[in-house]
Amino acid sequence: MVVEPFGYAIDPSPGLNAVFGALSDPTRRAILARLVEGEASVGEIAAPFSMSQPAVSKHLKVLERAGLVERGIDGARRPARLRPEPLAAANTWLEAYRALWEARFAQLDALLHEMACESGQEDDDG
Amino acid sequence: MAEAERTATEFVLERVFAAPPKMVWRTWTDPELLVRWYKPNQTCQTAVLEHDLRPGGVMRYEMRFGEMPPHLERWEFSVIDPPRRLQWKHMLTDADGTVVGNPRMPDWPRMMLTTIELSAHPEGTLQRLVWAPLDATEDELACFLRASSQSGQGWASGFDNLGEFLRTLAAESS
Repeated sequence: MVVEPFGYAIDPSPGLNAVFGALSDPTRRAILARLVEGEASVGEIAAPFSMSQPAVSKHLKVLERAGLVERGIDGARRPARLRPEPLAAANTWLEAYRALWEARFAQLDALLHEMACESGQEDDDG
Repeated sequence: MAEAERTATEFVLERVFAAPPKMVWRTWTDPELLVRWYKPNQTCQTAVLEHDLRPGGVMRYEMRFGEMPPHLERWEFSVIDPPRRLQWKHMLTDADGTVVGNPRMPDWPRMMLTTIELSAHPEGTLQRLVWAPLDATEDELACFLRASSQSGQGWASGFDNLGEFLRTLAAESS
């Protein structure tokens, strides 16, 4: 399936905006980087930051809504865990743009080859 | 925005073509040649509706995919320096010519400054495509930054090292 990012859509993925929104904040990116090391409670996440636990909880909610984080059910601790799938989808969006340009350039390549065959050497002084 | 992030606001794609720069230049600036390759695949029909190749001039074109309503785009040329450099503001429009956002990604920048740089290369021409948001809102910039920082740092081809990627993100924020 080819994803066409320019809007001639085949496969809409509305969740990506939430992902990019969540990633736009430096604190939330730092929280994600922390969670790469393993799951952590709000208190454990807050420790290295000069930030209150409610503030961390707020950021976690944004990350949760974007699907980047899930909360465990380990009693009151409720550890936060990274969910990498939406990040892979965000990467796919860019990958789709790259693929789109590459597809065009492959056709440009073919056209240039045709033109070279038609014109022989006359353009060779470029 | 942190200064480190500003540098990530470009999407760069390089490619070598086995043709001299003058010929590559023609494929970008001659509408009859452009429509033959400027499309995602051969089932798409690209048609140029307006073409005024001068600084400030406009090109409008449509892409048709079967019976679906045509997809409309607009370029406003800003630099025309044959056969080296072509630059334009790239926009999507509706049927009335009004600039619109990307329906699939509302925070994708509405205006992209697109630059094509051509230089001689032993095998023909090195083409450098540079894509940068123009007059972007904070949300648009954030959207593009997330995208461009990933691909610009070689993350486009896979996602096998998530930890390193996230550490990169964290480093950008410090």
